[in-house]
Amino acid sequence: MTVASEVKQCLASLKGVEASLSSLALRSQDNESKRVLQETMMIVHEVVNDIQNRVGELEREEFQYKGF
Amino acid sequence: MPNWLDVVVRSILFIIVLFLITKWLGKKQISQLSFFEYVNGITIGSIGAEVVTGLEQKISVGIVAIVTCAAIPFLAGLISLKSKGFRAFIEGKGTVFIKDGKIMEDNLKKERYSTDELLELLRKKNVFQVSDVEFAVLEPTGDLSVFLKKENQPLTPKDLNLSVASVKEPQTVIMDGKILDEPLTTIGRSRSWLKTELEKLGVSLENVFLGQVNSYGELTVDLYDDKIKVPSPQERPLILATMKKCQADLELFALGTEDKDAKELYMKNSEKLQQAIDKVSYILRN
Repeated sequence: MTVASEVKQCLASLKGVEASLSSLALRSQDNESKRVLQETMMIVHEVVNDIQNRVGELEREEFQYKGF
Repeated sequence: MPNWLDVVVRSILFIIVLFLITKWLGKKQISQLSFFEYVNGITIGSIGAEVVTGLEQKISVGIVAIVTCAAIPFLAGLISLKSKGFRAFIEGKGTVFIKDGKIMEDNLKKERYSTDELLELLRKKNVFQVSDVEFAVLEPTGDLSVFLKKENQPLTPKDLNLSVASVKEPQTVIMDGKILDEPLTTIGRSRSWLKTELEKLGVSLENVFLGQVNSYGELTVDLYDDKIKVPSPQERPLILATMKKCQADLELFALGTEDKDAKELYMKNSEKLQQAIDKVSYILRN
């Protein structure tokens, strides 16, 4: 596996985590847990954005692996 | 009317009257909170027994007596809600038995409690050594309330500076294979959601003896057929594991790359993710 594909895989996992946290926050009955889950989701979202940009750079560098 | 039939009729009548009276007076009468209610309970019971078996008594007189006896604690309860002095007079006050870890002998004598009885009351609260107690008070109901010294109190998460996820009460949504609609709507779920969850677990509704939904919306079930193993909810631990894996991956990328900017980006984000994990792990851990 190339580095690019590994990074892409990690990005996908992170997106999954973001979605799971969001759905958990929506389902949670307790307001405090809801808040913490939402805040964590925001942090993960920032990380996702950064990694997304990095994936863009990697794709420009290694053009043959483009496609996501 | 033959005597025995009269007694039967009176018994049924008075059981109904007593039932209604007790319902009217509420839970307080049953728990016999104050000695006032205790005495009243005995009186009402005696009147009932007297009228049921004493055939020379009139039924109406008995009922009037019972209602009067029940009305007095009812009124007393209403007044004592408003006035603290009245409350102290009617329901009595607690007596301090142990203060600052020392037994108050005078108060013991005043309530006519022997040392043995005090020890017995303490033992009922699982205290076998008087020196463990900081403060103890004899409630008007005759119970002893015990406040242990700090070092003898059970350890709480607060003592350890642990943060624990606060949870709401779980709701029972399936009982004896039937869906309960009211708790289901309390947590804002529908029957179709429940059916989907049951399908996810791979069990049929008829086989579920008891099903509860916890504060995170996870369904746990107990089945009639105890041989079938039901998976416990894995979603939260799974999220935590994935977060940890991603964090480790990011660190690996940071080590692997030659690009300085990229290294920095990976490092920054792995730290960020670590913070997120620290923040949320107490909720996601089971």
